[in-house]
Amino acid sequence: MIVKRRQMDATIPAMAMGDIAFLLLIFFVILARARDDSHLQWKPAPGQELTRPQTMNASVVIDKYNVTHLNGREIPTVILGEALKKLLGENPAGRRTVMFKVHHEVTAVYFEPVIEAISEAGGELHHILKEEKKTR
Amino acid sequence: MNLKRTKLLVEPPATATSDIAFILIVFFLICASVEPDKGRAQVLPRSEPEKEKDKQSQTIEVELTRTAVILNGNPLTAERFARAIALKLADKTRDEDKIVAVKSRKEVPYSHWMQVTGIIEDAGGVITLQIEEEQTVTVQ
Repeated sequence: MIVKRRQMDATIPAMAMGDIAFLLLIFFVILARARDDSHLQWKPAPGQELTRPQTMNASVVIDKYNVTHLNGREIPTVILGEALKKLLGENPAGRRTVMFKVHHEVTAVYFEPVIEAISEAGGELHHILKEEKKTR
Repeated sequence: MNLKRTKLLVEPPATATSDIAFILIVFFLICASVEPDKGRAQVLPRSEPEKEKDKQSQTIEVELTRTAVILNGNPLTAERFARAIALKLADKTRDEDKIVAVKSRKEVPYSHWMQVTGIIEDAGGVITLQIEEEQTVTVQ
């Protein structure tokens, strides 16, 4: 006697696909946010003839609350220089670029010590600005 | 006579929801990731003690207040400052003569500082910061 094997239905439920994709993407977005500084609130100052840096070795942000961040993490200005020295290590010139993002209203009392620390650590400053069209 | 109403499909096709969700999320991700990454590179010489500064030739001093620029003691507007600094730097040939010491008051906003330092760099100047060091003195 021949017994017919029962055929199993092996299709993936299409209804769940949207939920799966959505959850996966949220997971990756949260992971990515923990590493960068896109969650910080700052508005760039205007500038002209702007260029894109060749490399990006560190990112320093002073947000609208005058708080300094190194690679997205809050850091006191007094230890910023040492932290940057460690981060940049023995990188040769051209590979020591520090993206410097400062909220346009932050005052000199906050940003000048940070510039000094970056300079002391041998970082190559690249101020991130907003393109402003020339007025004639 | 009774006419039977034809049943219309009211459910959206379930197989398309994944594509819709994916496209929507990609759209929001792209919108969220538009961050400025252009700017201006700036070379700052490392700070040196006051004694060594005395040996250098006379540097141009620029003082910044919240809205104005003071060049060697004379307050100027941005346009006049651009002309004046270009004139001062025009006859300088050595790099050490092109050093411009920028001293900012505490209340100077970053946008104003960037505007003025941009003018100096466009004129060929080399920016150096003049920061007053804080010292704690114990009085007995």
